[in-house]
Amino acid sequence: MTESRASTKFLLLVALLGVAMVGLGVRLVVLHLGGAEQDRAITAKTRTYKQTLSVPRGRILDGSSATGILALNVGVKDVWADPALLMLSNRVGVTVARLRPLLEFDAAELTLRLSRTNSQFAYVARKVPEALAERVAALKLPGIHFEDASTRSYPQNAVLCHVLGFVNSDGVGSGGVEQLMEKYLKGSPGLIESRLDGRRREMVDRRIQEIPPKDGADVILTLDQNLQYIAEKAVDAAMERNRSKAALVIIERIRTGEILALVSRPAFDPNRFREARDPQKLNRTIGVVYEPGSTFKVSVIAAALNEGIVKPDQMFDTENGRWLYQGKILRDYHAYPRLDVADILKKSSNIGAAKIAIMLGNEKLDRYLRNFNIGSKLGIDLPGEEGGILAPATKWSPISSSRIAIGQGVSVTGLQMLGILCTIANDGMTMKPYVIREVVAADGTVLLRRQPEVIGRPIRPDTSQLMRKLLGRVCEEGGTGTKARVDGFRVAGKTGTAQKVIAGHYSETEYMASFVGFLPLEKPEIGMIVVFDEPQPLHTGGAVAAPVFGEIAEQAVRYLGIMPEEGALPPARTGTVDGGNETF
Amino acid sequence: MMIRKNKKKGQTKLPVPIPLVALVLVISSFALVYVRLQSRTEKLGREIKELEAARESLRDQLVQEQCEWARLQSPSSLDQALRTHGLAMNWPNRDQIVRVRYDGSLDASRGYELRPPTRVARLDRVVMND
Repeated sequence: MTESRASTKFLLLVALLGVAMVGLGVRLVVLHLGGAEQDRAITAKTRTYKQTLSVPRGRILDGSSATGILALNVGVKDVWADPALLMLSNRVGVTVARLRPLLEFDAAELTLRLSRTNSQFAYVARKVPEALAERVAALKLPGIHFEDASTRSYPQNAVLCHVLGFVNSDGVGSGGVEQLMEKYLKGSPGLIESRLDGRRREMVDRRIQEIPPKDGADVILTLDQNLQYIAEKAVDAAMERNRSKAALVIIERIRTGEILALVSRPAFDPNRFREARDPQKLNRTIGVVYEPGSTFKVSVIAAALNEGIVKPDQMFDTENGRWLYQGKILRDYHAYPRLDVADILKKSSNIGAAKIAIMLGNEKLDRYLRNFNIGSKLGIDLPGEEGGILAPATKWSPISSSRIAIGQGVSVTGLQMLGILCTIANDGMTMKPYVIREVVAADGTVLLRRQPEVIGRPIRPDTSQLMRKLLGRVCEEGGTGTKARVDGFRVAGKTGTAQKVIAGHYSETEYMASFVGFLPLEKPEIGMIVVFDEPQPLHTGGAVAAPVFGEIAEQAVRYLGIMPEEGALPPARTGTVDGGNETF
Repeated sequence: MMIRKNKKKGQTKLPVPIPLVALVLVISSFALVYVRLQSRTEKLGREIKELEAARESLRDQLVQEQCEWARLQSPSSLDQALRTHGLAMNWPNRDQIVRVRYDGSLDASRGYELRPPTRVARLDRVVMND
């Protein structure tokens, strides 16, 4: 009887357990196989976690041996507040007062924003450096929170700002290398898809997928921060002396086309790009065209020598400084009765250059100028390059060639003008200028490596050699460019003092003063152009731009380790500054 | 006649079948192993998460240091530092420079250590080839 009862109880227990198990099984089947799609979706959604892994933008490095960092992304904090909480605890005033000494904000405006009881989020300050954020956090203010963020930082502030560009608030490169190399710099973000536990913490062991982020690649420039600093310092000092409106300097390695320094003034701090005005953001070295004035005579004389139309010792009647041609008078700054071709360049005679251009003829002049890349872009790897202005020869007036010969009626960028001199210095070969040397991925893979590229050969090597000698005479005694001389080196170059066109007429008071040249004369290594916009009171290229050329070149040759050469004249920058005898 | 004693009557019977017990034991063992492994995995997961956070933090710190270092070693900062300490630096005069010609005669087989070409002073150094 007892055994039978026990057996019955056991069977009952087993049956109950069986029923429970069957029930659970049925529920399990129902949950998994049907009827609970919606529940499953909700559960999966609430427990699934997706995080996009942002990547730091690649760095921009300079081309010096130190590879100085010019741009990089740094972690910052966004400081935000919970207005509802602050209002509830009546701490708006106290919070604003305690934050004010540390953060930059408009106290009245912030107080207003923090006084909204229906809001739980309001930014107090964005992009706050981590060290400062730590000081704010140390105040332990209730209702104040921090959010990780990242910002583009330019540790050298305004240095190379026009080359670097900046990154806008959306993190997209705007201007300069930041814009051009966006696809390399930005990298690709990663992704983590995972499950959350009951406390909303990620369960790493339940990760569904993990795509590692790909860091942005580093861009290495050809520009050298030390040379850039030398050039910027000299230009800034000269601008202060000469009260110029704007200025530009470009230094190029002649044999390769690498740009070593590129200065455009006025400048801006890319860390504070929102405060910069448009003229400050403008890269004048490639984005502004100007009438080059006498520096342009170089291209006309090189073309005539290359064609064999003139010889260096061929004499020209320079009409005692006043020549009536096609009903228009052309004047020389200094009157000479007769000059040979070599002295036309050295003394910068307008009449001589005009007569050579007329001898050359419109068609040939036009062809040579276009071969020198006037009227077309050189293709530098920076956005915003202008091609200059050169009307087709078919549209020229009878006096056009005589005016183009002296740099009027034609517009160029500083880079184009430097390109002509570098072509002459480089045995007649035009190199494509470039500022980006390499792009290197985070794992060290070289994604892009620039090689020097020849884009044209407008003149023969023998013409180039002859022109080098003629240009060297410009910096000798009696020439217009004596103040560009460098101790231990022979400098070749040409001065230019161009009247600016104001309201359709050539101004008598506003000029562009320039000097473009290269050194050493025999084995040219670097070419440089220096241009000042509206310098006062001195306004000639020989007085304003040539000394700055000499000052920068003197340091540049030492920095680059360029060997001095024999036969160099001592510098002539000290002493009285005269106006030179530049022509218009 | 002697009555045979039923030996089976004296034996105590298990209330559940042995295979069921074995099954329960096996399942329990698996469950215990599973729980242990799960706990270890979770612990490792937490460690991974902590290390990931530490890596990010270190990375941020490195970038901050790089930024500060770049700022400090920029030519303008160095110039400023020199001025602050009243130091004036000039380029050497031509007569203060000694130039040494490297004739290429030194080589490793003769027991000399060759430095990279850019670090050797040469009279005929061509900068563009550096």
